[in-house]
Amino acid sequence: MTEGNKTRREDQEEFAEARASLMKITLGPLIWALHFVCCYGVVAVTCAKGWDYGTVRAGLLIFSAGALGGIAVVGWAAWRQWDVSHTADPVNRLGRAEDRYHFLGHAAFLLSIISAIGVVFVTLPLVLIGGCQ
Amino acid sequence: MLAEPVARDIAEAQAERLRAAWATPKGWRYVTAVNNTEVGKWYCLTALVFMLLAGVMALIIRLQLAVPENDLVSADRFNQLFTMHGSAMMFLFAVPMFEAISILLLPGMLGARDMPFPRLSAFGYWCFLIGGIFVIGSIFFNVAPRAGWFMYPPLATMDEGPGSDIWLLGLSFIEVASIAAAVELIVGTLKCRPPGMRVNIMPLYAWYVLVVGGMILFAFPPLIAGDFLFELERSFDWPFFDPTRGGDPMLWQHLFWIFGHPEVYIIFLPSIAIAAMVVPTVARRPMFGYSWIVLSAVGTGFLSFGLWVHHMFTTGLPSISLGFFSAASEAVVIPTGIQIFAFLATLLVGRVRMTLPMLWISGALAIFTMGGLTGVMLALAPFDFQAHDTYFIVAHLHYTLFGGMVFPVIAGVYYFFPFIQKRLMSERLGRWAFWLTFSGFNLCFLPMHLTGLLGMPRRVYTYPTGLGWDWLNLISTVGAFVIAAGFSVFVWDLIRPKHRQPQIPRNPWDAGTLEWTHDVPEEAWGVRSIPHVSTRYPLWDEPQMLDRIDAGRYYLPDAQEGKRETLVTSVIDAVPVQVQRVTGPTWITLWAAGFTGGAFIFPTFHWYPPAILCGVLAICCIIGWLWTATAQVPEADSKDAGLGLSLPTYAAGPASVGWWAMWITMLGDATAFASLVFGFFFYWTASPDFPPAGALHPEARLVGLAALAFAANWALTVGARWLNRRSHVGGARLCLIVAPLAAAGGATALVWSVLSLDPTSHVYPAIHWALAVWVAVHAGAGVIMQFYCLAGSIFGKLTPRYDADIWNVSLFWHFVTLSALVTCAVLGLAPEAL
Repeated sequence: MTEGNKTRREDQEEFAEARASLMKITLGPLIWALHFVCCYGVVAVTCAKGWDYGTVRAGLLIFSAGALGGIAVVGWAAWRQWDVSHTADPVNRLGRAEDRYHFLGHAAFLLSIISAIGVVFVTLPLVLIGGCQ
Repeated sequence: MLAEPVARDIAEAQAERLRAAWATPKGWRYVTAVNNTEVGKWYCLTALVFMLLAGVMALIIRLQLAVPENDLVSADRFNQLFTMHGSAMMFLFAVPMFEAISILLLPGMLGARDMPFPRLSAFGYWCFLIGGIFVIGSIFFNVAPRAGWFMYPPLATMDEGPGSDIWLLGLSFIEVASIAAAVELIVGTLKCRPPGMRVNIMPLYAWYVLVVGGMILFAFPPLIAGDFLFELERSFDWPFFDPTRGGDPMLWQHLFWIFGHPEVYIIFLPSIAIAAMVVPTVARRPMFGYSWIVLSAVGTGFLSFGLWVHHMFTTGLPSISLGFFSAASEAVVIPTGIQIFAFLATLLVGRVRMTLPMLWISGALAIFTMGGLTGVMLALAPFDFQAHDTYFIVAHLHYTLFGGMVFPVIAGVYYFFPFIQKRLMSERLGRWAFWLTFSGFNLCFLPMHLTGLLGMPRRVYTYPTGLGWDWLNLISTVGAFVIAAGFSVFVWDLIRPKHRQPQIPRNPWDAGTLEWTHDVPEEAWGVRSIPHVSTRYPLWDEPQMLDRIDAGRYYLPDAQEGKRETLVTSVIDAVPVQVQRVTGPTWITLWAAGFTGGAFIFPTFHWYPPAILCGVLAICCIIGWLWTATAQVPEADSKDAGLGLSLPTYAAGPASVGWWAMWITMLGDATAFASLVFGFFFYWTASPDFPPAGALHPEARLVGLAALAFAANWALTVGARWLNRRSHVGGARLCLIVAPLAAAGGATALVWSVLSLDPTSHVYPAIHWALAVWVAVHAGAGVIMQFYCLAGSIFGKLTPRYDADIWNVSLFWHFVTLSALVTCAVLGLAPEAL
């Protein structure tokens, strides 16, 4: 076996369909959705049941920081998968396995940026509004 | 191998066999056709007719409002008109039109012969036709729904007459058809792409279909759950939305808008997907920022679920809650804007030809951007407080829907007409139609911003003079008729006879995607041979592809067994995995749709015996259809798919399209169930007397028994699948005999546990009843499925080797068992916890 062949086989392994998932690109938005539902749900119950808003707000702000951290991890992994600095191909328009692999990384990376913006937006009312009025 | 010529006589014999297998029925049997090209056309035309009817209603509305203190129609008739205008435009035009267009175009774009479940498409269409005629016909009998298209209780629940029931049952029936289409389209996109079409090179339209199909699965079920509760209140007086007995009208608003806002994007995204097909063609270059469009479609799909409360800004929710939804509403502008900029960038760097479709797309972008800008204003709660329920909203929503849906769809009609009808529409009439519609639209709706800011509320049937609204309304009415003139030109161009037109070129726009390999004159087989695809715009990049398709050099060039077949490929990389036999023409779908219609329509008039009879007959038809046409034992395990590739003819479990359809359907079903559970906790949050003092609770021991029985049923069902696969057929059959008993026992115990509770007394017992009924009905369906498998095993349809049915049934039971156990937890444990 030549070294070239070996590298190719490793490539095939790396880009194999079994390791890819369409769901992976939605990880960022899923974190956004979870964060959104928790913020809305917990605050709605807090206001309806008269729980202590200050404590809940502090908890949710920490949770928001955690959500942003989670999205950052997803985004970093996606950036590595896109690997644009290495391939120098931001478009991935060809139908090869590695193009599909880099493309999914690119899409996941862009979606994690949008998700991060979404989380920041949804956190703003927690920062700016001080109570249940 | 690709370059090897196929002998002429062999190729002709192959083509003849394909033609015979895919022949469209002639004469009066034409209605039995299930081919996507026929069903798609009927679907589009039906949606168009409903749209024109709803448009006529809009004209009457505008005539009534043309001058102050007009008495052209009565207040009651006016209420029916605006309710039906909104309901028909949304449920009978906008959503079905997406499904119709996608069923018509998607197989062509994917180089597939047909959708994976053609009879399901046909069934969905007939349901849509029956339900649509029923709903829209009510206005001719003066009994149409009249509480507004969002049917807010208590107005809608207390409304006398059948109007609200017609809305609820008729549209629930159509929603079932919508979900059927969503399942079909998702599975089609994931599993029926041509070999080599990995996810990074599929047409952008397919990405949008995937996103929108997913959105339908999560958006429609909350409305179905809401309809279920609403109809239980209307028919049996269970007080879900009646505040005097612990109910809450706000729950309806939440469930309606969890559906209603994503629905706006369900309408918008597929239409803008048409723009994503037209723009690269007219710019004569690949789409600039393919990944960015994917980002935008997926991102919008997600964010659009965080907007629903912006329809409820004035309902008195805490301002911090409004803040979350206001923020998300502003955030969704980012992905929406990105796709518009990607289109503009493609046009800027390309060499644009201002064809007729592009003219309509330009109009769409201009109008939609205006609607988007007022959307940004309305997403700010304090502004919304001022403009809420005024004509400013009417202007905003028409700008988004005309710009986001009507204009792109008409662009699509001009663009795809040669593909659909093998004729061209008139350039001159098209420009007339565009300028009339575009100017009429702005004349009608631009002044409404001002009318609204001057304080004119929506839904008023007349208004006094002297408030500054008179001339604005008159201008709007004139504009409405100019739009109508534009539509008349368009419709005439669409339906006028075109026999004398010379044969059109095959790819008149010089586009790069697969649908333009279609045959002119038309052939019903979809594609002569299924190509191997390796780029995003195969017709631009591989000039020899068309000849090879025509010569039958690619996959499945033949129909040796005379059966309809298409290729199934893997989800991510489109590796060929199976030759799928698809179903052909039949009457059974019409019967099934007719009886399903009866089951939904008779309860409107409280005629329950014929409704139950229809329900039973519908189930019989569907069982007959499945038994005779799906998961058939093939004559050979595998067959030659062309190009030296041998593929299996049968698949079970996750490898089969049926398993995916079940998975996706049950995801939607689980969402509806989750909405009911959400309702339970909503009442607990919103109401201080939930549960009310001294309330009876479900019988805890019976609830526990039900949980055990459902768990046992699940183990037996999964056990049957396991034993069957290992050739212990006798053991499997035994499991399939005991499992239904366990399921029926579980359902009985669950209903029994709430039997002593009076559902009309308070919402607390009512929601317990609703959950128990939901699970019992699903268990009933599951029992039928188990007996179906048992019969299959006895009559040789289900064998250890060919076991797709039992895989699908156990998947169904995974979901139903989960919802049964959650119900048991809520019924048994919540009284302790609350």
